[in-house]
Amino acid sequence: MTAASLLPLLVLAMIVVAGVQIGRRALLWRSGSFADVDWVAGVKALPKRYLVDVHHVVDRDKSASRMHVPVAAGLVGSAGLLVLGLVPGIAGSRIYWAVVALAFAVMAAGVVLVARRRYPRAMPRLSLGRYQRTPVYLGLFAGGGLLCALLASFGDPLPFFSFLGLILAAAGGLALAAQAATGPMRHALAGAAHLALHPRPERFDERLPKGRATGLKPIDLDAAKLGREEPADFAWNRLLSFDACIQCGRCEAACPAFAAGQPLSPKHLIADLAAASGGGHASAYAGNPYPNERSVAREGGLHHAVIGTGGMVHPDTIWSCTTCRACVEECPMMIEHVDSIVDLRRYQTLEHGAVPGKGADILDNSRLTDEPNGHDVATRTDFAAGLDLKRLDDGARTDVLLWMGQAAFDMRGQRTLRALIKLLKEAKVDFAVLGEERDCGDLARRLGDEATFQRLARANIGALSKVGFQRILTADPHALHTLRNEYPAFGGDYEVVHHTAFLNDLVASGRLSPARLTGAAITYHDPCYLGRYNGEFDAPRALLDALGLERREMARSKRKSMCCGGGGGAPIADIPGDNRIPDLRMEQVRQTGAATVAVACPQCTAMLEGVTGDRAEVRDVAELLLDAVEAGRGEKAKTEARAREVETA
Amino acid sequence: MKTTVLLSAARHPVSGREALARLEAQAIALATRLGGDIRGLHAGPESDALREALGVGLSKIDRIDAPNGSDPMEDLASHLRAAGPDLILAGRRGQGGLDSGLLPYRLAERLGLTLVADAIAIEAGSEAGTVRIDQALKKGDRRRVTVRLPVIVTVHPLAPPPAAFAYGAARRGMISTHPVNDPIRQEGQGSEWEERPYRNRPKLMRTASASSGDAAEKLFVDPDPKEAARLILDYLERNGIRQF
Repeated sequence: MTAASLLPLLVLAMIVVAGVQIGRRALLWRSGSFADVDWVAGVKALPKRYLVDVHHVVDRDKSASRMHVPVAAGLVGSAGLLVLGLVPGIAGSRIYWAVVALAFAVMAAGVVLVARRRYPRAMPRLSLGRYQRTPVYLGLFAGGGLLCALLASFGDPLPFFSFLGLILAAAGGLALAAQAATGPMRHALAGAAHLALHPRPERFDERLPKGRATGLKPIDLDAAKLGREEPADFAWNRLLSFDACIQCGRCEAACPAFAAGQPLSPKHLIADLAAASGGGHASAYAGNPYPNERSVAREGGLHHAVIGTGGMVHPDTIWSCTTCRACVEECPMMIEHVDSIVDLRRYQTLEHGAVPGKGADILDNSRLTDEPNGHDVATRTDFAAGLDLKRLDDGARTDVLLWMGQAAFDMRGQRTLRALIKLLKEAKVDFAVLGEERDCGDLARRLGDEATFQRLARANIGALSKVGFQRILTADPHALHTLRNEYPAFGGDYEVVHHTAFLNDLVASGRLSPARLTGAAITYHDPCYLGRYNGEFDAPRALLDALGLERREMARSKRKSMCCGGGGGAPIADIPGDNRIPDLRMEQVRQTGAATVAVACPQCTAMLEGVTGDRAEVRDVAELLLDAVEAGRGEKAKTEARAREVETA
Repeated sequence: MKTTVLLSAARHPVSGREALARLEAQAIALATRLGGDIRGLHAGPESDALREALGVGLSKIDRIDAPNGSDPMEDLASHLRAAGPDLILAGRRGQGGLDSGLLPYRLAERLGLTLVADAIAIEAGSEAGTVRIDQALKKGDRRRVTVRLPVIVTVHPLAPPPAAFAYGAARRGMISTHPVNDPIRQEGQGSEWEERPYRNRPKLMRTASASSGDAAEKLFVDPDPKEAARLILDYLERNGIRQF
């Protein structure tokens, strides 16, 4: 008996050990609540989701894709080949062993690349501990297997070294398999299962607009328990998704709350949620701690509350989130962090009223006056006195329905809205506003108050059904996202357009003729709810380019844009950190050297304008366009006057 | 200890919708802090405000099915007499159409109970059957009184803020409906209030005129400056404002 002939048995042993471990994990997943999953479609779509969608995300960090392709291919290839070796006759072939050795060599090359990310010093976003030891086990398995298979391909001239290789491979391989349930390697099986049984399969369909896969899903308000309290409350494929995490830390590197020193790290949170169902961390969490970590008991269990000082996660952690989706965008395992955070918030708000900061007042106002700040919704158009804003009575029709949103009650937001209204008048657009526009419910929903959101959504859909319009125009990406992507669940299907896209069309079709502005360079801050949530990056940029200003991009822009800190009710919860998120963002603006930062969202405007000291000017795209259009009108008047002078002369 | 929190037919100041008065939400918070058996009591038709009250800490509400606009005093009095709570809490002022803010006083008179106004904190007294109440007085003054139960207490806006609304709790809470006891009143007696359009009234100011008797001796037209100074000093001394 040669050492190499034992390699296939080693792989079988690894499969059995890993199978037992994953099986124990799967029993935990089964204790989750019901989820409607299309297994057949999911499994069919798995190869594409893995090879295309996952690879696209992994490949954004080249050091990750270059390491993962050979390691995964080598591991799966060599193990598969070795299982094939159990077929009698094959194991006798030297060519077979040469191929096996090649697979091990590919894997070994990958392991070198893995090790270079971690030794001598690991990248700061990576977890240490077990994760730091994984390359060692991978290396033992690849190196030992390579030695053993290579010798076998030469006819096993050195049996001692063959056995040495076998022992090394067995040590590494069995160590990997033993951790298949709680260690780093669980990401392989849990990750594949998560891809196939993903809670949001629509996110893998490129034909659908991006927003279709980013809207929050409604919950049944008659359910016994509202929101998620304990691991068993989560849908089983959500529990599975937590286990898919490989703790690469890309989410943490992208998280604005983490950067500002608020006690949130998406990676840590997902690790905690994964550990909670099994009763706590199997080995100490070895990533960066939550910044300014609040102390909690760190006790878990399938039926143990996750949030709270007696649980796994401090409430401040879930309330620090701005719902900017930067973590979701970055996650190579396609985990939906924001969904789980909102689910946890829903339980806190709906069952306990435990909203921090000004949250209780905001929700009281939303519930009792239909407006988060307690304004009378009948006064929403007061800011537009003198602008001759048409209000739609029941049964009336218009082409474009202007959705004003919360900005109508904020003096800074009103400036933007006035600019937009002037531009619409200039372009002779047929537009009007609702007689009584309630809040769209975005803020209430993200603060976890699903009951108020659903009531507002139904009331707004009722009001919208009484008037006629082609499409809804709004300058607020939060309202845009809610109306476009979250109202369909309640029977409101509308074509909703953001003012940047609408104005861009007006300029492109010549209905607005802006002059070219001169002046210092400009940079554009992508609102999360327009960019990452709805995939609209180009229209605002095209519009700014039409103004003729030099446009500089921040290091974090478009899909990687950093949140202003204003989303998801984060300014309401106001969880203290070391810094303010808008200060960090304004620093990034400063690094471009631009004198003006163009924004396209009233939240971003408010947050960035709240930055003190010497900073770039904050202008909405509509305001800049109005400047250019008014300058153009001046020039036109001048040229006409000159023409008249010439005529009279 | 049995506590009853009186719930009025309040309206939201901005939207005019049926809503729980903030003072009553604060009363619920005070009662919760004190502990014991806590019930809400409302006389009138079904109202969203009752769900609000369930959402901020009450779990049981008794509703007397009185017709809209009727004076709830007799219904509340007979219910309270039967229920016999130790502590009755109410807001210090009304926040609804016909609310006058006098109801707690009328109830106290009717039931022969002590009334302590403007509470900001209530805790059990050192002796059984008593409570210690902190009252908010003018200019930030506080007064601590110990009273023997049963007692009616009205709550001041400076009491601790109310609990945040929780939809789940509002959904779980129980509202039990009781018929009106008095069959005559059940038919809906007309209100003794009369509705009139608002009319601006002239401001009442004390004015001195030469014609009125008392003021005549105090009115001096264009007096000699020295004489005027003497008169002013006399006046100040007479009234104890300036003393030698």
